[in-house]
Parts: sequence; C-alpha cells; structure tokens
Amino acid sequence: MTGDPEQVAHRVDAEHLDLGGGLEILLTAAFERVAPGGVLEIRTPSRAVALELPGWARLAGHEPIDQINRPDGHVVTIRRGSSTRILAGPLPAREAGLPLRNGELHTADWRDRALAPEPDPRAGFAPLGAAPEARAPTHHWQLSRRDKVWADDVGELVDQASGQQWDASRDIPWEAARDLDDTTERAVAQVMTFLAQNEYAALYVPAGFLPQVNPQLVELVLWLSSHVHDEARHIEVFTKRSLAGGHHGYALASTELSLSTLLDEHDFTASSLLLNVLGEGTFLDLLRFIETHAPDAATAAAARLAHRDERRHVHFGISNIKRTVSIDPDTIAPLVTAAETRAAKLVSLSGLSPVLVEALAIMAARSLQPADLSDAAADVRALMQTMERNRLRRLQACGFDATTARHLSDLHTPNLM
Amino acid sequence: MSAAELRLGAVAYHPRIVTIWERFRIYFADANVGTDYILFSNYERLVDAVLDGTVDIGWNTNTAYVALDHRAGGETRILGMRDVDRDWATVLVMRKGQQVASVNELTGRVLALGSRDSGHAAILPLYYLATEGLDVESCQLLRFDTDLGKHGDTGDSELHVVRAVAEGEADAGALSAAYFSAFRAESVPAVADLEVVWRSPDYYHCNFTVLDSLDREVSEQWSKALLAMDYDDPGLRPAMDLEGVRRWYPGDRDGYASLQAAMQEQALLS
Repeated sequence: MTGDPEQVAHRVDAEHLDLGGGLEILLTAAFERVAPGGVLEIRTPSRAVALELPGWARLAGHEPIDQINRPDGHVVTIRRGSSTRILAGPLPAREAGLPLRNGELHTADWRDRALAPEPDPRAGFAPLGAAPEARAPTHHWQLSRRDKVWADDVGELVDQASGQQWDASRDIPWEAARDLDDTTERAVAQVMTFLAQNEYAALYVPAGFLPQVNPQLVELVLWLSSHVHDEARHIEVFTKRSLAGGHHGYALASTELSLSTLLDEHDFTASSLLLNVLGEGTFLDLLRFIETHAPDAATAAAARLAHRDERRHVHFGISNIKRTVSIDPDTIAPLVTAAETRAAKLVSLSGLSPVLVEALAIMAARSLQPADLSDAAADVRALMQTMERNRLRRLQACGFDATTARHLSDLHTPNLM
Repeated sequence: MSAAELRLGAVAYHPRIVTIWERFRIYFADANVGTDYILFSNYERLVDAVLDGTVDIGWNTNTAYVALDHRAGGETRILGMRDVDRDWATVLVMRKGQQVASVNELTGRVLALGSRDSGHAAILPLYYLATEGLDVESCQLLRFDTDLGKHGDTGDSELHVVRAVAEGEADAGALSAAYFSAFRAESVPAVADLEVVWRSPDYYHCNFTVLDSLDREVSEQWSKALLAMDYDDPGLRPAMDLEGVRRWYPGDRDGYASLQAAMQEQALLS
C-alpha cells in the first residue's frame, strides 16, 4: 500500500526517540489528535525504529500502512484503530478547578454537584469525578442510598477529623503518670481499662459498616475511616495509661455484655443512635469528668484529646439522625424499637458497675480519707445527673420529641456505652 | 451440549486458552451457532483431528494450516482470522549499533532461531533470508526448540532468542514482530539494547480452518458470528484481549504462499 499524503491527519517527528525509550508515549499522545481511521505520519532518522513501528502499531491496535525510506530519514504511516483504549465515554473538558478557602482545599467543597440520592449500587472504587471503565467487576454495596446514611456536614467533619489528629505516644506527658500513690493509681488503671474496653466496640461498629458503603459516598467512607482511626488511638492511649503506672484493671463482664449488643445492631441509623448519640454522647460527660478530676496530667490529657474526637462522633450521630428523621419521620419508630430491643438484652444490668463507680470516686478523691471520698462520691452522683440531662438534650437535637427522648434515655445502657 | 454443536479444536499453549474459549463458547451459543471446544496439546494432533472429523474447525497456526491444507489436497476453507494475522512478520534483531545494511553481512555469523516448528521464528526466517541472498548454510544456527508442537505460540523460544542476542551468544536473532513488540511493551530486560535490523515481507498467521466437506451454510453462519464480535462490548473485550484480537476478518489463502514454499523447501510437508 502507498500512503496518500492527502490523508495524513497529523505528523510527528520522533527525532531521536526510540521504542522503549519514550517514542510510544509521544505516539499515543499524537494519536489522540487523530480520529479513528485517520492517518498519523511519523518521521524518524532511525531505520531500526522504522522497522519496529509496524509491530508496535499492531500491538497498540492500529494498522501499519506504509514505510518510505528517504535520504533524510524514514517516514512511517499508521492508521488509527477504531477501538477505544478505555471502555468509557470521553473525559469532560477541563473545568474551572476546585475553590480554595485561604489556600485550603476543603472536603466540603470538592463536589461540583450534589451527591445523587441513589448512586449506582454496583459502582466500583471510581474516585470522585472519575469516568469508570465499563468492563470493571461490579460490587453490591449494602449502604448505597444517600438518605439512609448521610449527614449534611459530613465533609466538614472529615476535615476536622484530619486536622485534629494527635499522637498517643508523644502528645501525652507520660512522665506525669509514674508517681501516683498505690490507691489512686489502681483506681486510674481500672477507669482506663473500662474506657479502653468500651473503645473497642466504638471501633468495631464503624469498622463493620465501612466495607458496606458505596465508594460514591466517599465522604462517608472517609468519615467512618476517621472514626475507626480515632477509636484505635483511644484504645491505645487508655491502654497505655492503664499500664503506665504499673497497676492493672478488670475487663468487666457487664461491660462486655453491653458492648456485644452494640455489635448486634446492623442498621446504620440505629447504630448511629445507640453508639454515636447515646453511647459516645454519654462518654463525653464521663471524659470531661475524668479530665476535671484526673490525678495526673497524663490522664487529663488523654481524656481531653479523646473528648475532642468523641465530640465529632456525637455530632455526626445527631446530624445523621436529624436528617434521616426529618426526611422520613417513619424512621422514628424503628429507632425506638432498636433501643428497646437492646435494653431487653441488658435487663440483667442494674446500674453502672460498682467497680467503676468506686474507681471513679477514688480517682477523684485521690485518697481513701472519708472527707475526700464524700466529695468525690457526690461528684460521681452529679456526673450521672449531667449525663442524663445532656442525653436528653442530644436526643431532642436529633429531632425526637421530649417524651420519646425521655423514653430513649431511660432505655440507655447502665454501662454508659 | 446439543448434537448440532460445532466442535472447535484449539491448542492449549497457555491456561488462558480455557478462559478465552469458555467466553467464546457462550458468545457462539448466544449467536445461535453452538460451538464447543476441544483442546489439544499440540498442533499435529489438532491437524489429525480436523482430518479425521474429531473436530469441525481447527484454530490453526500458519504452519498447522499449511500442513492441513497439504494433507487435505487443498480441500480446506478458511473461516476467519485476527486482524493481527493479516500482516504478521518476522524481524531480525541485533544489539544496538550493530546494524547491517544488508542481510548478506550475516554470512558466517551466529543466527538464533526459535522452535523449529515455528513459522515465524524458524521456518520463514530461513526462507526469507535465503531469498534475500544470505547464504544460510554459512551461518551457525543457534536453535531453541522449546515447546515443540506449539508452533511458537508460547513465545518461550523467542525469549531465548532475544536473550541469546542480548548476551552475545548470537549475532542476530529471528522472531515475530508481534512478540518483539510485546517484549518491548512488557519491558523485558533482554530487549532494551536490541534493535530491528530487518523485517520480512508480511504474511498470514493463524486462521480457523475447516474441510471443504463441512456444510457451507453452517460454516458461513459461524464465520458471520465470528466477524460480528465487537471489541467495544465490555463482556467480550477481556477474552478478545487474551486472544490478541480487536477485529476478526474473513481471511483467505493469499498470505500463506511463502510458508507453503518454505515448508516444501525444508521438507516439512508429508
């Protein structure tokens, strides 16, 4: 065949590039400027390249047409193949790019259009804005409908989670945890053991939902990942504090029973209520109490940093339930049922474990002197009242009326989490 | 499997052959030309199977096709071939900087060849180089007879060829342009410092062959279904990629004359 110069759609000079040395990249880019069926003319000073180009063309899905040897070099013509390299429509034209806030690129600003209510439940791991190729394996995501899982400020929460990371090895003044008296240290070890035990459930619950989430709900994927990561660090810091002073605590069976019922809940919104709003919400007050009454700076710092994370988790829970309930008020009844079902499994629990109540009081008293213990016991009783008051406030913020909020609060586990 | 199904024979030169034909079997069933496949370990057995009627269609290398056509007295038909089969070629590679202006310059030197039953890596290189004036007898032939019976399909002997040239064991090596480009694309270290010094005229490679006795209407229906395979169909692309085809063509005998002459000359036809 002879190449017709009239049909050449684009010309490229290979100069001294050869195949295996970058020429294929130049050619691939050049073919993007040629329509299927159009002809690309390649000039090369190398006879070896000219001889190798037909083989490359076939492998790349094009049709070699001709090779002409001239005194000043070689001219090879190749017809572009008709098949697309990637089984997807063309990528959109370049757009304006994402907006910045004082040079910062916020997760809340990365969507140029709102998330679809029903993203394709079979979608793959196509990042936001990417065009998925057709032949990719499909999935079946259990959590795919936006209105079942979303929170309107989840993007902001993701940014906060990233911005407030901390280091449990270096950000705690661990030296301060070494010199407490025996009684106080043993109480601290028990309180910290209790916290760490509970934080395992706070990690396992979002971790269980994470692989069920449609990747198109990317903010939720990032959010749950941050939740899991936060809880991993809480387990770490409270375990470290429990061990730092040399004492050990009990992992209580009553706590284990309470936590096992959290793992039993497989509905995302119900779990949001039981874990984020009720459990972690109640823990906010507990952590504040520990920070205030900590006998040492290490314990106070651990409680303070964990409190900051838990606030985000509680905020997500309230935001998620408020949105769900306002879109579909019929979800209130199943949420109440979920709390009732859990409470029914916990009938054997009659109050917060005395082991923990005593440890909290001794930790706050820092002694076994009657006067100190009396004040501390009063503080612990006040904590329980604070917990209930704030629980009611959070439940009403979720959109539950006062009666329902009271009912849900009363059903909450005596274990706190 | 229904009695009406066509039986297609292919050589299992790689595990992917099963993947390919499981997918194509579904495709042909959907196209109402039920086709089951039977795998053979070598092309000689496949040619026998076409001749004795064990299979209706043979998915043949060019060497197998020429042998089959010879034994069938020319009474065969070609039902299709891949786009890449229509301009297959052999290249001669040398270490960079060793370019020869003419293949005659290889007189007396060491020439690496692939499996002796490979049309593109052994039979045709000798034929074409002689045609272009090289005294092949003067060359020391370094043959890599690996995977005999597979007619060079595995690419294994060609990998030996490029390594022999890269390591200086041979001055030049013959292999298919397709495999050389594939080695290049896969960044096979041995080809990094090699370049093409000669390319043969184009010839045909594989094809689907039937005996003339097969019902013409049936074979045309099968051929029509084959040619309708769409590379842009996401369900078909993976199997077509494994088969190395983007588009099927009807095929004809035109591109097999050189191999027929070469096999005749090298006493490979019985």
